[in-house]
Amino acid sequence: MKWGLVVLAAVFEVVWVIGLKHADSALTWSGTAIGIIFSFYLLMKATHSLPVGTVYAVFTGLGTAGTVLSEIVLFHEPVGWPKLLLIGVLLIGVIGLKLVTQDETEEKGGEA
Amino acid sequence: MLHWISLLCAGCLEMAGVALMNQYAKEKSVKWVLLIIVGFAASFSLLSYAMETTPMGTAYAVWTGIGTAGGALIGILFYKEQKDAKRIFFIALILCSAVGLKILS
Repeated sequence: MKWGLVVLAAVFEVVWVIGLKHADSALTWSGTAIGIIFSFYLLMKATHSLPVGTVYAVFTGLGTAGTVLSEIVLFHEPVGWPKLLLIGVLLIGVIGLKLVTQDETEEKGGEA
Repeated sequence: MLHWISLLCAGCLEMAGVALMNQYAKEKSVKWVLLIIVGFAASFSLLSYAMETTPMGTAYAVWTGIGTAGGALIGILFYKEQKDAKRIFFIALILCSAVGLKILS
């Protein structure tokens, strides 16, 4: 169930990203702030029991995919293959970097 | 263009926020907490401003990308973290696709 925390953190992440673009009242801005706080909190909680690099890699992947999907599905943002491709490549870079960096932190943890 | 510059700054401030959180983990002091709050608040404000013209998905992807790539670059440059080919490759991948997204927009 620990990975459920990561998925839930990513859901709140998508919520606040939508809020940053579309919030227009005190209520929606409060929702955005709550989204930021919850996604942070859940992510921190998840990293206590799961490997940090992997958690962040999964979290960013879900967050970015969720954001792009919701702007297409909910807000009918026009989207072309070149843009999707570039976001995909960027995502590979972020996930790759986080997975590679994780090994290093674990080694350091071993030394300490 | 102004929106992209603020997106760039937002990414850098996110990176600074994460660096400050690591600092706080080492030394629990109120000064770090205040800097963390200011850093993230500024980062989110600039991201929100950038989203006025940049589509949500693109802005978010570039913001996370700059935060991650920048964090790794700072680690390599200032904290003598390992600079193996894999890390450099992924950093380059992020920066190239961010530039590509800017050109496309």
